[in-house]
Amino acid sequence: MTKITTESVLRLLCDRRRWFVVALVVLALGSGWTWFSRAPTPGASSGVVSPREGFLAPDFTLKTLDGQMTSLSAQRSKVVVINLWASWCGPCRAEMPAIQKVYASERERGLTVLAVNGTFQDSATNASAFAQQYGLSFPILLDTDGRVSRMYLLSALPSTYIVDRRGIVRAVVIGGPMSEAFVRSKVEPLLQEAP
Amino acid sequence: MFPIIHLGPLAIQTPSLILLLAAWLGIWSSERESMRRGLPGGAIANLGTFAALGGLLGARLGYALLNRSSYAADPLSIFSLTPSALEPAAGLGTALIVGVIYGQRRKLPLRGALDALAPGIAVLGIGLALANLASGDGYGAPARLPWSIFLWGVDRHPSEVYELLGALAVLALWYWASRQALPPGVTFLLVVAASALVRLFLEAFRGDSALLPGGFRLGQVIALLALAACFFLAGRWSREGEQARSTQMEGPS
Repeated sequence: MTKITTESVLRLLCDRRRWFVVALVVLALGSGWTWFSRAPTPGASSGVVSPREGFLAPDFTLKTLDGQMTSLSAQRSKVVVINLWASWCGPCRAEMPAIQKVYASERERGLTVLAVNGTFQDSATNASAFAQQYGLSFPILLDTDGRVSRMYLLSALPSTYIVDRRGIVRAVVIGGPMSEAFVRSKVEPLLQEAP
Repeated sequence: MFPIIHLGPLAIQTPSLILLLAAWLGIWSSERESMRRGLPGGAIANLGTFAALGGLLGARLGYALLNRSSYAADPLSIFSLTPSALEPAAGLGTALIVGVIYGQRRKLPLRGALDALAPGIAVLGIGLALANLASGDGYGAPARLPWSIFLWGVDRHPSEVYELLGALAVLALWYWASRQALPPGVTFLLVVAASALVRLFLEAFRGDSALLPGGFRLGQVIALLALAACFFLAGRWSREGEQARSTQMEGPS
């Protein structure tokens, strides 16, 4: 086997003609590979359900604080902010007023918020007191058995999933607190999309 | 996948921790390399630190600028603790500008400083692959292969593992190149070119590529451009380096 030495590398690099040929061959092969490996479909993840950007958001149905059943699939054609939270979580407290402000100003344009309380590690009483304290006007859903938290692979509180009008997750924000401007920056482009 | 490490009441995001460690290790290895190459002590570590801080600031400002209608009503939100409000391209651009300004002010030789940064780039590549492995980001395209992994609902290419192997190969190349008497700047170009080649090849197996019209993958197009620039500069810098060396060997007449 030919040993690669500094001299042989330098000879190749300094020889204009040979180096040009090497560059041309590599770039031609690279261009060919780029052409050959074009993505066949707009999104390789289309149709697959997973709580990640580009995937269909997992559907769920939960009871709200006022006893009604609400599901994600019923919100189709709306932009949905799914916020997983608990009353004892500091960043959840910090970001909830920002979410409420954006919801109040954008609900007419098709924004909805599903605030899923991790009731299995909190309580409906605390969730209710929290909603009153912060004047939350969007539905508070009670995840009493942790099913939705598991479905959304909850690893930290708060976690926020922003779902477009077609039910596809477009942004995932793990942790917080989110500022009002940040929430707006995430929902505004989706609100502008046609239903 | 280990996206979160729970330490008592603390939930630490593993990918962020890995990236932080990789940045520290990258700056440390670049600093060691700069000492070996005779650059002033602390210069590369400071350059890396300032570039990282500048990059962070630039990434936040870039995000706010791109979403100016959202930030106009509440400009102070720019200073909020929201960790996701960052624009990576703006961050990278700002980091480069800050690095160049710092290098010029400290009168660092450009090509020598780039060579010193090369191991840091290789280490960061490994950190990025490990962070993706921990978070499940950078996932592969669906594929039924004996070595496929089940991730996000389907069997996929283990693209995070491919990229880890690629990054290790780049580090090995840097180790070899750094032991050769190559002209200034060429080791850096070799590392960048190898990283671009790895990206060009492996991007084809990704399931989350940013796409251009026609289905072209943005990562591959950028890699091709980087590769072309490296070929051009490597030839030129090598010839200049060799000329300078032969002039030195001839000595003053």
